Amino acid sequence: MIKHHPSDETLFRYANGSLEPGPRIVVAVHVGGCAACAARIGEFEAVGGSLLHDIEPDQMDAGALDGVMARIEADEADHAAAAPARRLPRADVGIRLPQVLDDCGIGPWRWIGPGVRWSRVTLPDDDGANVMLLKVVAGRRLPEHTHVGNEYTHVLKGSFSDARGRYGPGDLDEADDEVQHQPIVDKEGECICIAAVEGQTKLRGFFGRLIQPLFGG
Amino acid sequence: MNASGHLFIADKAFLAFDFAKTGLAVTMRKDQEVLSAQQASRLLMAVAAKRDRAAFAVLFGFYAPRLKAFLRRSGMTGSVAEDVAQETMLLVWKKASYFDPARAGASTWIFTIARNARIDRLRRDGRPAAIAEAFDPSDQPDEPVSGEQAMIVAQREERVRTALALLPPEQADILKKSFFGEETQSEIAEASGIALGTVKSRVRLALGRLRQILDDLK
Repeated sequence: MIKHHPSDETLFRYANGSLEPGPRIVVAVHVGGCAACAARIGEFEAVGGSLLHDIEPDQMDAGALDGVMARIEADEADHAAAAPARRLPRADVGIRLPQVLDDCGIGPWRWIGPGVRWSRVTLPDDDGANVMLLKVVAGRRLPEHTHVGNEYTHVLKGSFSDARGRYGPGDLDEADDEVQHQPIVDKEGECICIAAVEGQTKLRGFFGRLIQPLFGG
Repeated sequence: MNASGHLFIADKAFLAFDFAKTGLAVTMRKDQEVLSAQQASRLLMAVAAKRDRAAFAVLFGFYAPRLKAFLRRSGMTGSVAEDVAQETMLLVWKKASYFDPARAGASTWIFTIARNARIDRLRRDGRPAAIAEAFDPSDQPDEPVSGEQAMIVAQREERVRTALALLPPEQADILKKSFFGEETQSEIAEASGIALGTVKSRVRLALGRLRQILDDLK
């Protein structure tokens, strides 16, 4: 049962395309398993459809349709399929990752502190985005911290808790700079999350402060 | 080309269009400037099923000028908006088989393709942008849709329209404007002489109200 969802503002920005690449993929992982958020995004996309339908049209260039038709003809004459997508290296991280991440590169687990490991997630067309998998052993308490910019953490396995509640598989924790928390991974087992921060700022959030040196910050 | 240029192309397309095959109502007049959701859906399905160029030309005549306007509102210059509008229509042709009227209305589906094309363009231009393919409903393989779900989706577009109409005008206005993106939010702030933070909290309030209305309409 999913208890923690992205905010409406985040889903709105997902729908209008202004959410940054890192947060976007983390929200996509959540939405892939959350019918309620998928429906909400559908509604916000319908806002876009309605705006598109009703907008005062601009003038297209002369011959625009002919140009597109010519490209269609050229594409159909050219039977050679598009170049296969670049395959990024994928390490085995011990769990089955959501389908949304199929085209992403997945780095091997690396130690960053007692009981904490991370793996870099590389987006197919945006290798600058700060997205990572995090794995924390059962019962581990993390340092108290705040955030700079929104941080998005989606639980893939296990659970953690802080003063705001308990986050289990399928939950997305959206923490802004007003959240100060000290998450503890629950005793039942290790916790694996996918996380991203907003902004080109350095990682300072949930696990980010621990990881920051590894991103060259 | 003069102001009637794209209408002329659309005219030709309407004349050439095989109404009988696609079941389009013959009441569609050749000077019609508005496509209904049902008409647009049928045209898309004709493109998907038969690679119907005349149907595509009608869609182009209606959507391309609107896509260009939409993309300009989102902050693109005229020539880039023109280019991305054309690119979007090319993708509409290529992806037409993914269109499923039980999942989204034609305008909504075309909007999502334009959104992703815009994201791709911004990324290619080296500006921070979102990843387009992460979760793209326009691109999803067709899993079976239950009858109930199909009905919910069919009603969604209408519900959203109704909800936008029921929002207090200033809230509807700020939502529509902010839909075009972050840059637009700064412009709203500048134009109305209020702080960006205030614009953001008004957007938040308007979204809360929209959610309430949408849920009441279910």
